[in-house]
Amino acid sequence: MKFIAVIRQVPDGESRLKIEGGKVDLSGVTMILDQMDEWAVEEVIRLQEKHGGESVVVALGPERFEEAIRTALAMGIDRAVHLVAEGYLDPITQAEALAETLRAEAPTLVFTGGQQADWDSQALGAAIAEALSWPVVSWTTQIELEGESHAKVKHDLDEGAEVVRVALPAVFTSQQGLNEPRYPTLPGIMKAKRKELKKVPISASSKVAIVEQTIQERTRLNKVLDGKDPVAAAHELVRLLHEEAKVI
Amino acid sequence: MPIDFSLTDEQKELQKLARRFAREQIAPIAALYDAKEEVPWGVVEKLHEVGLLNAIIPEEYGGLGLGMLEEVIIGEELAWGCMGIYTIPMASDLGITPILLAGNHEQKQRFFKMLTEKPALAAFALSEPGNGSDAAALRTRAVREGDHYVLNGTKTWISNGGEAETVVVFATIAPALRHKGVIAIVVEKGTPGFTAHKLHGKMGQRASGTYELVFEDCRVPAENLLGQEGDGFKIAMNTLDKTRIPVAAGSVGVARRALEEATRYAKEREAFGKPIADFQAIQFKLAEMLMGIETARAYTYYAAWLTDQGLPQAHAAAIAKAYASEMAFEAANQAIQIHGGFGYMHEYPVEKLLRDVKLNQIYEGTNEIQRLIIARHILSQ
Repeated sequence: MKFIAVIRQVPDGESRLKIEGGKVDLSGVTMILDQMDEWAVEEVIRLQEKHGGESVVVALGPERFEEAIRTALAMGIDRAVHLVAEGYLDPITQAEALAETLRAEAPTLVFTGGQQADWDSQALGAAIAEALSWPVVSWTTQIELEGESHAKVKHDLDEGAEVVRVALPAVFTSQQGLNEPRYPTLPGIMKAKRKELKKVPISASSKVAIVEQTIQERTRLNKVLDGKDPVAAAHELVRLLHEEAKVI
Repeated sequence: MPIDFSLTDEQKELQKLARRFAREQIAPIAALYDAKEEVPWGVVEKLHEVGLLNAIIPEEYGGLGLGMLEEVIIGEELAWGCMGIYTIPMASDLGITPILLAGNHEQKQRFFKMLTEKPALAAFALSEPGNGSDAAALRTRAVREGDHYVLNGTKTWISNGGEAETVVVFATIAPALRHKGVIAIVVEKGTPGFTAHKLHGKMGQRASGTYELVFEDCRVPAENLLGQEGDGFKIAMNTLDKTRIPVAAGSVGVARRALEEATRYAKEREAFGKPIADFQAIQFKLAEMLMGIETARAYTYYAAWLTDQGLPQAHAAAIAKAYASEMAFEAANQAIQIHGGFGYMHEYPVEKLLRDVKLNQIYEGTNEIQRLIIARHILSQ
């Protein structure tokens, strides 16, 4: 069996992002393996530990992605394929490029993050499945293989969860609760350097171009209730919390 | 050879791992174990799991064979989380180093196996109640009886002493010979006649266990002797010449934490209608901290590089240790000052930085001893 995780490198959630000339400035920002992709990597390693076979990561992105790929290799992934493309590519174009590699690899299943912590829509997993004509199960919290042909999978819905049986090969996207990812170990880091990392330059043109980026800014409304009439202030506070803050 | 300040990809990865480990596994529990004055054994187990424990043991003996530069990269990160908790693996390396330097193949195989196959610690026992810096005046006696040495005496301030699987004990076969009578011998945990008593009431670094070790007719196999009779003093000094570099690295980690905490607080706290970070008096303190951190780190890396190159480094280790620990003490002090009254409370992490890093000026040779080493280096030229 062969298990593949598709990963991306994103800015660390703790980094403070800046906009320079209408674009997000990534210089000086710590870049990490996307957290939801990390769950995918962990799950792929666990599946391999349980069922044997091979674990592979596939990534599509600029040269700097190599660092995130090395992290996955240090966690225990066997080898990696890096489709190298600088600049922005929309998820559909990415999926088409990835599908070619994934089809050639012929894995038992593909796992990827439910949503990437950059400016991705939640489309990558579904778009890969579409490009491969494979089934997709999103927001996976539990997966169990039934031989090589099927998997029994629990996944989140908006207001609950359901368990489905899906024919393999299929694409799965991760959700919180799937697993607790392991740390890359020091011996793992040292071994990762010797593991195969195949670079494949690709040229694809994006169907979407980013024109301008902004970052949501949170500012205080500076609304102060004077409280001279405590009863009126309490009523006004409840109204604001209900109608404006929408927390009660 | 050209100067190159860049880290290898591998070093960057292990820095990232240690940084994440400190952020997720050490920092959140540091205050709790400081209050409890208890060793967080769970952290020791996790350090072992990810390969950060006893990693200086060579690969052929089951370790990872990390160099000094890797050690200081990791040390800064772990100490950022908690200097006291970092002292646990650091003191274990201190207990490993004499075996690395002076042990024979059989001894390395035997002892290093005990320290790599499971989460386990080593310790180094030199100081005694009656002597610390004057190491040649030690009084713990070793008397050869057949295939054994019989130890009698007391050691004190021994980090990991009660938890350690192996303790390198320095004892004398003839006190009149001073340093020429010293031996270094490995005592295993549980050896009859060897007891460890935990010392309580430490000012800082309370998450690391500090012990008094008592030897009463403790029979230790002669095959545990490192080197020859009389080599002990040299083994101790050569060990400390190496292991005080990680003390410098830990100091840099504490100072970096002090700067980060102080910067965050200065940006949030307002006085006279603006964040206190807008005042030059505060800005200068932050700038001084960064000047200290950058120079101490650069010099610590240099001392580590000398060590890895096999070049003379005793003076560099002494400079790094004394300079970095004094710089870090001042950084912690100023971080408290910037926090004002809040800095004096346990609720904020900065008072602990000061309590913890005070010890860095004392252990592995006081900073006065470091100055002696540096002065001897100058005068011997």
